[in-house]
Amino acid sequence: MKHPGGYNLSLAGRPSAQVDVLGDPAELHLPLRSRRFSFTDICVADGDVVSAGSVIARDPANHGVPLLAPRAGTVRTESKDGHIVLSDLGDRPACADEALVDALPGVQARQRLLDMGAWQHFADAHTGALPDPHGAPRAVIVHTVSFEPFTARGDALLTGAFSGFIRGLGHVQSLLEYQPIHLVVPEVNSALAKRVLDAVRGFAWIKVYPVPLRYPADNPRLIMRRLGGFAADAKHPVWATDVAGVLAVDRVLTDRLPCTERTISLAGPAAPNPRHLRLTPGYPLKALLGDAFGSDVIRVIDGGILTGETLDEGQLGLDVECRGLTLLPEATERPFLGFLRPGTDRSSYSRCFLSALAPRLPERLTTALRGERRACVCCTSCERVCPAGIMPHAIHRNLYQDVLEEAERLRVDLCVGCGLCSYVCPSKIELCSELCRAAETIRQETANAEGAEA
Amino acid sequence: MKPLLDLLTTFRPHFTKGGRFGAAEPIYEATESLLFAPSTRTPGAAHVRDPLDVKRFMSMVMVAVAPCVLMGLYFFGIRVLFMIAVSYAAGGAVEVGIAMLRKEEINEGFLVTGLLFPLVLPPALPLWLVALGSAVGVLLGKELFGGTGRNLFNPALVGRCFLALSYPAALSGNWVMSCTGLWGRTLSYVDARTTDVVTNATPLVMAKKGVILPIDDMFLGRTAGCVGETSTLAIIIGGVLLILVGVANWRTVVATLGSFTIVAGVLGLVFPETFGATPVLWHLFAGGLMFGAFFMVTDPVTAPITDTGKWCYGALVGALTVLIRNLTGYVEGVMFAILLGNICAPVMDEMVVRFRLRRLRNER
Repeated sequence: MKHPGGYNLSLAGRPSAQVDVLGDPAELHLPLRSRRFSFTDICVADGDVVSAGSVIARDPANHGVPLLAPRAGTVRTESKDGHIVLSDLGDRPACADEALVDALPGVQARQRLLDMGAWQHFADAHTGALPDPHGAPRAVIVHTVSFEPFTARGDALLTGAFSGFIRGLGHVQSLLEYQPIHLVVPEVNSALAKRVLDAVRGFAWIKVYPVPLRYPADNPRLIMRRLGGFAADAKHPVWATDVAGVLAVDRVLTDRLPCTERTISLAGPAAPNPRHLRLTPGYPLKALLGDAFGSDVIRVIDGGILTGETLDEGQLGLDVECRGLTLLPEATERPFLGFLRPGTDRSSYSRCFLSALAPRLPERLTTALRGERRACVCCTSCERVCPAGIMPHAIHRNLYQDVLEEAERLRVDLCVGCGLCSYVCPSKIELCSELCRAAETIRQETANAEGAEA
Repeated sequence: MKPLLDLLTTFRPHFTKGGRFGAAEPIYEATESLLFAPSTRTPGAAHVRDPLDVKRFMSMVMVAVAPCVLMGLYFFGIRVLFMIAVSYAAGGAVEVGIAMLRKEEINEGFLVTGLLFPLVLPPALPLWLVALGSAVGVLLGKELFGGTGRNLFNPALVGRCFLALSYPAALSGNWVMSCTGLWGRTLSYVDARTTDVVTNATPLVMAKKGVILPIDDMFLGRTAGCVGETSTLAIIIGGVLLILVGVANWRTVVATLGSFTIVAGVLGLVFPETFGATPVLWHLFAGGLMFGAFFMVTDPVTAPITDTGKWCYGALVGALTVLIRNLTGYVEGVMFAILLGNICAPVMDEMVVRFRLRRLRNER
């Protein structure tokens, strides 16, 4: 299988495999919005006492995906705008329905996954949206890796939960009929990878899909394209999930516990001790990040360094979808005659610095743009790095002239939004956001046209 | 360097809109960003960026051209530096003027054009012609199209083409004879008035008359010719560096030189009387072919953007050079060949892109 493009940034601040379990804070601030969800349907009243794992709110637009109370406590809905505050924290969730029979029928199991918070780990591989839990997928893609710096590492999650992961794979399979599970593993000879391969060798319904250790070879949309034969349609999507998702399925269907905890990475060049944390959603960000959050010195990014979004300063607690927090120092320095320096300390995709002669050293990066915005000089770095096989520079030219049709012809819709083109561009053009915006406009126009026809 | 930055910052209000020198904002911006890398922050994803910027990209070309400049200095004297200074001044004035009119920033691309232009001129050309050519090249070749990155033709070659058509006598004379010795002419000033060393004959002119210079002189550059074009050795050193750092694409260079060799060789065998007078290797080292192949054809903006397009483009330029050199009244054809190639570049891209899109047809 060919994997064109892609690039591994050489960055300081990767999280170690260590997972620290954090104790409960005094109160939890549960945001009502996250990347995909908007929990508008609130099921509790101010002052209610809720038990751990009960539903506080639902998102009606996303198959009623619930916001669960991570701990028992008293709910306050009005005190903080856009958040539900849970105070007087009590017990952790206990095992539900001891009396339940071992194997649930498929439909009930799927509903249970949705209601107990495991379903939100699933995504439509093509669109990234939450798939219909009762739909019939063509296949499921399960990631054991995440190449984007600095999201939670698959190996950190797997360590200590290995048997749960294998059991969870079995549960996922029981949700399906004959559809295969594509297990994405890195092409390495690590002990963990070998252990995974050995464990799944006997399962005919698991197809191992090795990917090179290069960002973004793990992107579900790219894997879908490479696997071929998935002329995806809305009725038969491909589901994508990761180690956390499989472990959540195992937790719900084996232990019968709601998923009220997350393992996230807290890493980046400005993180004092890059590591993983196990905590509950709603954990106050101030307590987690200290003064870094909301300061002008450090940028807090929700997600990885290439696709993550700057965390909104109004957000008080960790949301339910966070995979990692990246701390990046803001740019303040202005190096004197920087472009003339030999550059032994810079790690670049190009070979224009002396560092090209030495092995790449992890560099402590900041939010600096590192240059001025200029017109495209057709260096074609973006094309070489693009994993989707399109030509970002040619699309940019057409978008610059407002010719959306031409951008559509150049297949801007294949863009997976990995952010590498923006990263390598010497003219510092915001290629990725430009392309994503164009792809979104085209998608909406197509949907509108189809809607008008229907 | 903090005091210098502070000093610059105190001047800033005068150079912004409404200040005393508000119109000169681009000059201030260019000076400040040349000395101090800006501390602009990324607006969102991707939150970090690669250290390469256009300044570094263009400086790489300047470093790669340095051996040619030094060889020019050795063979043709200190006047080469004056030509470069005049070219920068005239072209720079146009660039700055247009930037002020457009209220845009000054683009680094000019630093390359201004340096490449004098290197493709006869060493004894009057300085006012250097200035005129540089200004016209920047204006017609680049600014009218919207500046660096949007031009269709190589600006340095547009300037040279303008001079070659408007002042044919000046551009076909004004050559300087070669020299030897440890210092060569490094410390002497040679122009059109020093008649004892100024000549009308370049190796290609002499070849048309049947006099063929030895090939080692051609390789080292001990011949009459344009400032930076005579020494194949220096060009290869710089050109290989440019390819190694990835600024120039090796495909274009290989295609140009390869197609030149093949077309000249085949035509030399088939029509020995028209094409076979000089060996192919000799022709490779003669005139501006090497310089053009390494520094002009590889200009990423005016070459096709696709790899296949680059192969076709190089092949076209190489073949056209053979034809122009041997079949027309011009002894040198590289300039016209590259400009003709520039015209064809977008068409080549379109064909390649169509083919590539067909492969993506069923993807989603």
